[in-house]
Amino acid sequence: MSAAQPDATSVKQAIQWMLKLRENGRDPALQQQCAQWRSARPENEQAWQRVIHLQQELDLRTIPGAGLALQTLESSQRRLHRRQALKLLGGVAMLGSAAWLANDLDATSSWTSDYATGTGERRTFRLPDGTLLQLNTRSAVDLASTERQHLLRLKQGELMITCNPQRQLLLQTRDGLLEGFGGRFVARQDSNCTRVSVSHGRVAIHRPGQAPTEWIESGQNWRLDAQGAYRLDQVDMDAMAWTEGLIVTRAIRLSDFLTQVSRYRHGYLGCSDDIADLRLSGVFRLEDPEQLLLVLPRTLPVQLRQLTRWWVRVEGLA
Amino acid sequence: MPSNDSLQTLYSDHHSWLHAWLRSTLGNAADAADLAQDTFVRLLQRREHLQLNTPRAFLRTVARGLVIDHWRREELHRAYLEALAHMPEAQAPSAETRELLLELLERIARMLDGLKPKVRRAFLLAQCEGLKHQAIADQMGISVRTVERYIADALYHCYLLRYADECDQ
Repeated sequence: MSAAQPDATSVKQAIQWMLKLRENGRDPALQQQCAQWRSARPENEQAWQRVIHLQQELDLRTIPGAGLALQTLESSQRRLHRRQALKLLGGVAMLGSAAWLANDLDATSSWTSDYATGTGERRTFRLPDGTLLQLNTRSAVDLASTERQHLLRLKQGELMITCNPQRQLLLQTRDGLLEGFGGRFVARQDSNCTRVSVSHGRVAIHRPGQAPTEWIESGQNWRLDAQGAYRLDQVDMDAMAWTEGLIVTRAIRLSDFLTQVSRYRHGYLGCSDDIADLRLSGVFRLEDPEQLLLVLPRTLPVQLRQLTRWWVRVEGLA
Repeated sequence: MPSNDSLQTLYSDHHSWLHAWLRSTLGNAADAADLAQDTFVRLLQRREHLQLNTPRAFLRTVARGLVIDHWRREELHRAYLEALAHMPEAQAPSAETRELLLELLERIARMLDGLKPKVRRAFLLAQCEGLKHQAIADQMGISVRTVERYIADALYHCYLLRYADECDQ
């Protein structure tokens, strides 16, 4: 049909012109030159039309809500890549791709991680030597192993580690380096601190250059932050209950409780200031966070205000 | 197009094997059944004659492409909903806009498959955010010249895919 089939050269030139004009669209001299180039050969004009058409098809700025496009494309691509690597390409390719991802993508993203979970997801990974990693919702961990050692990096979220006593286990968190010795412990990275709870064995906290090594004994809960490491006398929430699909609280502030629940669901979840300090004790099932929220009006003098599935606010009774 | 006979044989010999492979890959019987079906439909639509010395390897290649398409769609939906969740309610797009956008995103994601992450990112910053080359260079910590090359490469890549059918004829 068409008079001329654009060759690679005219297509590449057309792309160059389109980009130049997009960058400096108002420059009349440039527009003039581009017009000359287009009329020089029919192939040029044909290539130009196609490139402009393609550019319009790929233009995401024109669609309302397109602000989400970049984020959506980027994070879905990372996950897709990860899934492909895990399921389709097999172990060797997976190691290669993990290294490639770590090099090429921004290191802050959870989806470059070796092990990761999405919102509401909990997963268990058993390493070949028997070390067990359990990741809670929205968590990401990197792993580098040698024959004698596992080095883990907690990038976000929460995990429980059941250590193999034969192998040194180091967990790098934002607030300190933890070393496990054959026991079991949980680490959770919050926005301003890291919490560590040990159920079996003991864990060393290394903060090189800042403080001598401290030891967390079985049954203890500690808080690590930029200032130091402190043992907590009492906690308002069972640190391990999530591994059984539960939240177990003891007189927890309502707003802290909602912060915890919101880790397991999408969207906004908050409460008004007047009820933030109400206390809540109980055992809650994690499998359905929406159902869990319905319990609140039955136990506390509060009501749920729900605009959409994604926006829920707990308020005092009027 | 493959003759009905050969496709028939292919189907009866290998359908249950393909279904099992898809099932173990996807971890979901219903999706596996759909994609096994789609794989054979895809073969029916092919123009060239099939000469299959290793039918299972061939089937797996076709099916793998479909699996990746399937996952891409899933991940796009998931990522989109997550992005949406952080958006104030008032600005959230209507249901029709969402559908439209997701369709477009899927087409673009598919086109960009195989591009290097940095090339892809530079291109997307220009297409989604409308950033100037200098701003992209600053954000990615690379030179403007490299940004220009990345974006031009990405566009050429898309061009070849977009107009591939017309080039064949």
